[in-house]
Amino acid sequence: MTPQVIKPYSQVTTRLIVSPPSHWRSGRTIKGMMQDHLIALLPAVLMAMASFGFEAFRVLALAGATAVVVEALCLKLMNRDITVDNYSALFTGIAFAFLLPPTAPWWLVVIGSSVAIILGRIVFGGLGANPLCAPLVAWAVCRLSWPAPMDMDLNLLHTTLNYPLTQLKYFGTSALYQFDYSDLLLGNQIGGLGTSQVIALLAGGVYLLVRKQVRWHIPAAFIGSVFVTAWIFHLSDPTLYAAPLFHVLAGGVVFGAFFLAADPACSPVGRVPMLLFGAIAGIMVVIIRVYGVYPDGVPFAILLANLLSPLLDRVRPKPFGAK
Amino acid sequence: MKIWMPDRSEKTAVTPATQGKIDMQKVNFNLHTTIVDSIRELPAPTEVHVPVLGCILQIGKGKKVQRGTRVAERPTTHGGDKHAPGAGKVNGINYTHVSITLDGEEESVDPVELGSMEPGKGLLRALRGLGIDTGSLAPAETLIINGLNPEPGITAAEQLLRDEQPTLEAGLALASRIITPKRTVLALAQGYETTLSGCEAVPVKPVYPNSLAPLVAKTVTGRENPEGTVVLSVMDLYSLGQVAGTGLPVRDTVVTVNSGLNYKVLIGTPLSAILANAGIDVEQGDRVILDGPMRGRAVYSLDDGVNRDTYGVTVVRHDAFPAITDEPCINCGECVLNCPARVMPHLISKYAEFNLFENTEAYGIGACFECGLCAYHCVARRPLLQYIRLAKKELAASKSS
Repeated sequence: MTPQVIKPYSQVTTRLIVSPPSHWRSGRTIKGMMQDHLIALLPAVLMAMASFGFEAFRVLALAGATAVVVEALCLKLMNRDITVDNYSALFTGIAFAFLLPPTAPWWLVVIGSSVAIILGRIVFGGLGANPLCAPLVAWAVCRLSWPAPMDMDLNLLHTTLNYPLTQLKYFGTSALYQFDYSDLLLGNQIGGLGTSQVIALLAGGVYLLVRKQVRWHIPAAFIGSVFVTAWIFHLSDPTLYAAPLFHVLAGGVVFGAFFLAADPACSPVGRVPMLLFGAIAGIMVVIIRVYGVYPDGVPFAILLANLLSPLLDRVRPKPFGAK
Repeated sequence: MKIWMPDRSEKTAVTPATQGKIDMQKVNFNLHTTIVDSIRELPAPTEVHVPVLGCILQIGKGKKVQRGTRVAERPTTHGGDKHAPGAGKVNGINYTHVSITLDGEEESVDPVELGSMEPGKGLLRALRGLGIDTGSLAPAETLIINGLNPEPGITAAEQLLRDEQPTLEAGLALASRIITPKRTVLALAQGYETTLSGCEAVPVKPVYPNSLAPLVAKTVTGRENPEGTVVLSVMDLYSLGQVAGTGLPVRDTVVTVNSGLNYKVLIGTPLSAILANAGIDVEQGDRVILDGPMRGRAVYSLDDGVNRDTYGVTVVRHDAFPAITDEPCINCGECVLNCPARVMPHLISKYAEFNLFENTEAYGIGACFECGLCAYHCVARRPLLQYIRLAKKELAASKSS
């Protein structure tokens, strides 16, 4: 008796995919989101290389490469899928590099980039789990551990330009005559590698808004509250406090608004919480700049607001039908 | 607590990720289009597979059946009994379907005289015996007929309103007899003019998810989860109308095939017959879905038959969208910002992923009406609706135990 021939199920029927609804998806992916963020940073990268030359490229490349390699290593050690191909580590490295002075030494860049990935993201569980913005964690560690290599003026003595915020802090508003608003926009100032290229960052920010990768609430609330708080101080004593538009264009406000404060993992998710988050961070930026020791308050303000995110998320309406 | 980690090295699944190419399907949440064609009748198939999952079987293999013979009994009030849609012989039974070979004869069981029954438990039991879901048929003050197409791509509801008015009127009369509402409302797409007798028309913006019953009730009454309100869909009225008119069990349903024409098909018609008739080829890796693309159920096999309340057959191609992943949530908030029920799907999915189901109650899981928009918008492409359903099921199980 010949044995019955049993064909495998896959040869006799078409195999269908069975998955839960919804069967339509928006087409957005993490990789696409990070690609859009990198494209948004591109004008600032080009402008930085035009302003600072090859040094800027060196710092950016080193930071980005270190971040990717460190994340790949850490994920391998944790036995997780190596997802560095979604460009999130590259983005973190480049965002961190934007905060550094263009002449940062190689060891500072490597250590900072590694800290951004390890302390800023991996120890909390990976992408999406970090309660604090990863580039800012690295910036804070580097700024407090090695103030000299992180100091903008000290590192760029070979240019004739100045860092607007230290001028404001140590010489007062009378020293601000040297800066036009167009200077601040076009990067005729020293500052972070990327944070000084304000107009390019604004272009990048608008690109992100148009592509809907960033919701308008956080950037608008952040920049708006920096402007309003600085305006209140300026109205009280114009000789002591700088004009609000100066505060918006100097330092890391524009960079922080679109790329750091809007980081999805550490900012709130609801509409009202996002507005509150931006407002609180903006108020603290100006307060730290006026009363604090550090010339630029943006990193610390955003870090402090990140700590408030879970609390701010509790400001939400009741679910449908709940009394 | 087990955490499942997939083996990325095994690339056997046919997904766009492995194929590397996505031909992104255009997505439109519009719910209203002008219908020009009438309902097509699908030629009766040679074999039907009546879905009987969750029912107690009442028939054996090899038995002859007439149109309307009960093949399975539903033991609860949600959902009705299952019947043979035509005369023939049972040639196969498994726990999900009863397969009947139809022989085209016209014999049917004796009709039930519904007109003489008084509204009450007896009438409801008789309706369940005829295949009607009587879960929401109880006296109420407001009766809302949901005349919107339920999901994008589906046009069955408006097609029924256009072409099957007599059946719908009969169904409405029967429903009104049981529900005795003071106010009857027909919720319609804005710009669509039609009437049912005794109903006031209320326009609703025809964009998904406005067609879901809780949101229609909110638009009509102005309150969320209003008391004393029953929402019936046009498809429910169609089933009631069939039963009221003939006294025989529900036999057919109208389905939209792949956002195209509407077909009247017998209950249990295999998907292979419907798709072949419409000229749709199904390839390896496609999804074939009963109902619509946002809330429907993907089937394992093209032998599955349509159910009484199925309103669509949708095919989603294998390269239409990026694949679902097991990535952790990145907290982007798109699910929260697009949820019509004001639930927090991202936190619910995080807790459900790690089996901490009690913690999901704080984030509104009871309010979720399973529209699927969270899974649609998720940037990390997590199966959010599946996590929510899992959490709901586990919470119900732990409460009942």
